[in-house]
Amino acid sequence: MVSAGDATTRFFEELREREHEPRLRGATGTYRFELVDGKKIDRWLVTFSRGDVTVVRRGGAADCVVRADRALFNRLASGELNGVAAALRGEFEAEGDWRLLVLFQRLFPGKATSAAKRSRAGYARRTK
Amino acid sequence: MNDGLVKILDGNTFVVSDANGDIEASLTDPTGLFSFDTRFLSRWVLTVNGQRLGSLSVDDLQYYEARFFLVPGTGTVYIDAKLSVIRRRSVGNGFHEELTILNHSEKPVSLTVRIDAGCDFADLFEVKDALQKKGTYTARVQRGKHLVLGYERETFRRATSISATAPARFDKDGLTFKIRIAPQGEWKTDLDVETVQPGPRRGQEQRRDPRRANLTMQRNLQRWIEEAPRVECDWDPLKTTYRRSLVDLAALRFSPPIAGGRSLPAAGLPWFMTMFGRDSIFTSLQALPFTPELAATTLGALGNWQGSRLDDFRDEDPGRILHEMRYGEMTAFEERPHSPYYGAVDATPLYVVLLDEYERWTGDRKLVRDLEHEARAALNWIDEYADLQGTGYIWYRRRNEETGLENQCWKDSWDSISFRDGRLPGFPRATCELQGYAYDAKVRGARLAREIWKDRELADRLEKDAAELKRRFNRDFWVEDGEYFALALDPDGNKVDALASNNGHLLWSGIVDRSKAKAVAQHLLGPRLFSGWGVRTLAEGEGRYNPIGYHVGTVWPFDNSFVAWGLRRYGFKDEAAEIAAGILDAAVFFDGRLPEAFGGYERSQTKYPVQYPTACSPQAWSTGTPLLLLRTMLGLEPMGDHLVVDPSLPTSIGHLELLDIPGRWGRIDAFGRGRVEVGSSRRRR
Repeated sequence: MVSAGDATTRFFEELREREHEPRLRGATGTYRFELVDGKKIDRWLVTFSRGDVTVVRRGGAADCVVRADRALFNRLASGELNGVAAALRGEFEAEGDWRLLVLFQRLFPGKATSAAKRSRAGYARRTK
Repeated sequence: MNDGLVKILDGNTFVVSDANGDIEASLTDPTGLFSFDTRFLSRWVLTVNGQRLGSLSVDDLQYYEARFFLVPGTGTVYIDAKLSVIRRRSVGNGFHEELTILNHSEKPVSLTVRIDAGCDFADLFEVKDALQKKGTYTARVQRGKHLVLGYERETFRRATSISATAPARFDKDGLTFKIRIAPQGEWKTDLDVETVQPGPRRGQEQRRDPRRANLTMQRNLQRWIEEAPRVECDWDPLKTTYRRSLVDLAALRFSPPIAGGRSLPAAGLPWFMTMFGRDSIFTSLQALPFTPELAATTLGALGNWQGSRLDDFRDEDPGRILHEMRYGEMTAFEERPHSPYYGAVDATPLYVVLLDEYERWTGDRKLVRDLEHEARAALNWIDEYADLQGTGYIWYRRRNEETGLENQCWKDSWDSISFRDGRLPGFPRATCELQGYAYDAKVRGARLAREIWKDRELADRLEKDAAELKRRFNRDFWVEDGEYFALALDPDGNKVDALASNNGHLLWSGIVDRSKAKAVAQHLLGPRLFSGWGVRTLAEGEGRYNPIGYHVGTVWPFDNSFVAWGLRRYGFKDEAAEIAAGILDAAVFFDGRLPEAFGGYERSQTKYPVQYPTACSPQAWSTGTPLLLLRTMLGLEPMGDHLVVDPSLPTSIGHLELLDIPGRWGRIDAFGRGRVEVGSSRRRR
C-alpha cells in the first residue's frame, strides 16, 4: 500500500496504541475519517467513550465524518497545518457534531517552534 | 450617543444600515450584513422611480428587528407624499425584509422599484484596518429567481443569495420590480438575503418561515425576562436599568456552533459578537444569580476550545483558555491568529473561579465532574506555563510578536501598565490582579478537588500553594510608602508602583492580608481613585493619569462591580454601597445602559458622566454590572444549600426586593432597605 507509514497512518496507529486519551474524556462518539488519495479512499473509524479509544481501519456509522485529501491530512497529523484554520478555509469536508470535531483537533500536534524555549520556563524553580 | 445607524442582530449575524434601511459601505465603513465576522452585503439601496427615499421614522421594535417608514424624496420637505414605503427587517440566517408600498392617491400609480445589491465579503478585521481583498468575485442570476453574489480565494468560499416573493427582474447588480398600485392600494414583497458559508446546519426553521422565526425569537425574549428574578424598588431608575440589562444581555447572547443551540455572553455589540474568554467569564460571573445557564455554556464552550499544544502564532499552551475566536477570511488564512487566539493570561485562572462559583450557586456537580480534565489542565497551566520567570507568579509576554497582544490582562492598551512617573516596564510583566486570580483559582480548585473530584492530595497541594502565593504576594507587591499593591512587577522583580483600580480585584480574589485591607479600601474610596461616580482605572496624580485615557483614568462600570464585590468580601459594606450608588446614578444618564467606560472627571466638576467614545454598545460586562451590583448591595452569598442575604443599600434606593433568585435552594426572595448615607459630603462640595 502506497500510503503505509505516512503521517496519517502513524497518527491513527499511535492513537490505537494509546487506548486511553484523557484529553478526549468529554467526547463520547464515533468519527469516520475518509482519506482520499486519487481514486483510493482509506477509511478509519475512531470511537471514544469517556477517554477510552478504539481505532479500526474501516468504514461504519459515525457522529462525525471528515473527508479530506490524504496529503492534507498528513499535514494536519504532523502539525504542519492547523485544523481549525484549514476548516475555515474549506480545505476539507466535515459533517456532524461540531463539538466533537473541536475536541478531536486537540490531538493534532502544534508547530513545535517554541518547545525548547517553553520547557526552560516550565522547569524553572521558584525562589521561596 | 447616536451615530444615526440602525443595528439589529441575532447572535453573530447583524445588519447595520442608515436610517432609511440602506447600506452603502466602503471597505472601511462599518455598515452591512455581517455573519461569522464576514460582510455578506455591502450594498443594499432602495429607489422608487430612480429616486432615493427619505426617512420619517425608525422603529427598533426588538434587538432583532426594525421598521423604517419612508417617503420618496430625500429633502427636508417632501414634494410627493402620495406614497409611503415601509421596510420591516429582521435578522435570521442573513435577513428578511418585508417591503410595502402604499398608494395614498385616488389614481393608480406605475412604479419602478429597484434594489441595488452588492458585496465585498470583507473580513471584520479588514473593515477595522482598511486592508485589500485577495480573492475573486462572482455574480450570477440563478434561474431568473436568485441573485447569487460570491467570493473565492483558493478553497475559501462565501456567498450571498438574494430572492423575492413578488415577480422581479434580476441582474448582476440587483433586482427591479415593475409594479402598478391601485388607488388607495398597496403592494408587497418579501425579500430574503441568505448567507452561504460552512458550518453546522442551523436555522432550518428560520429559512423556511421567517415570520415564525420572528415569533420564536419574541417568545424566547419573553421567556428570558420571565425566568430572571424580578426587581421591585422604591427608586424607579433601578427598575429601568435592570430591565435594560436583561434585554441587552438577551441581545448579547451568542450561540457558538459547538454549543448545541445554547448561548453564552458575547463581548459587545456588534463588533465583538464572538467568544472572548475574559469577557464571557466576567459577564457570566456577574449574571450568575440571575441567569446561571450562561455560565454553564461559557464553561462548556471555553473548555472545548482549551489549548492543547504549544503554538507561538496563537500564543497557545496546553491548558490555556482562549482569548478570542474569529471565523473570517484573515483568520482562515492565518493573517490573524484568532483560530482561536490564546493571548490572555487571566482567562485561565478565572475559568476555575467561574466553575467553582457556578457550583456554589447551582449545585450542578455533574458539570464540575464533566469538566474535571479541563479544570485540572487550567490549574496546571498556572504553574507549568504561566510562570515565565520561575518566581511563582503569572507573567505574560507574547510569542506572536506580529499580531499578538502586548498586554494580556484586561487593561490591554499599550500604556495601561506604568510606574508612578509614567515609565512603562519591559516584558514579561506580572500584573497584580493576575496573582489574585491565581490565588482564588487554587483555593476554589482545592474545594472542587476535595468535595467533588475526591482528590485529597491535589486539594492539599493547591491549598499549600495558595497560602505560599498569598504570603509571597503580600511581601513582593506591597508598596510600603503608599500602602497599596503595586500594579505589576517588571522583569527584574521591581514594583511597577502606580496606584490603580486593580487593588479592588485583589480584594475580590481574597489574596489581600486582613491587615492590609483597610488601607486598600481607603484608597479605593479616596479622592485619587474615587471620582464620585466610581473608581478610576488609574489614580489621579500618576504620571500617565488622564481622565479620558482608555485604561489610565476612565471609570469602567465592570471594573467597579468587581471592586464592590471585593469590598464586600472584606466586610466593607458601606464602601461597596457607595460604589454601587455612584455607578447606578451614572446609569440613569445613559437610560440604564452603562457604557464600556466614562471619563474619570470629578463628579462635582461635570455633574454628569462623560461617555468614553467606543464602537460597541451594549458591552457585555457593562450590561452585567447592575446585576452584580444588586448582588453586592443585597449581600447575596450561597452558604451550603442556603442563600445568605445581608443587605447594605444606599438610602437613595429605599426599599428593594429581588424576587425568585434561582439556585440550589430552588427560588428565594431577598429584601433590603437603604440605610447607607452615601456621597452626601462629596455632592455638597
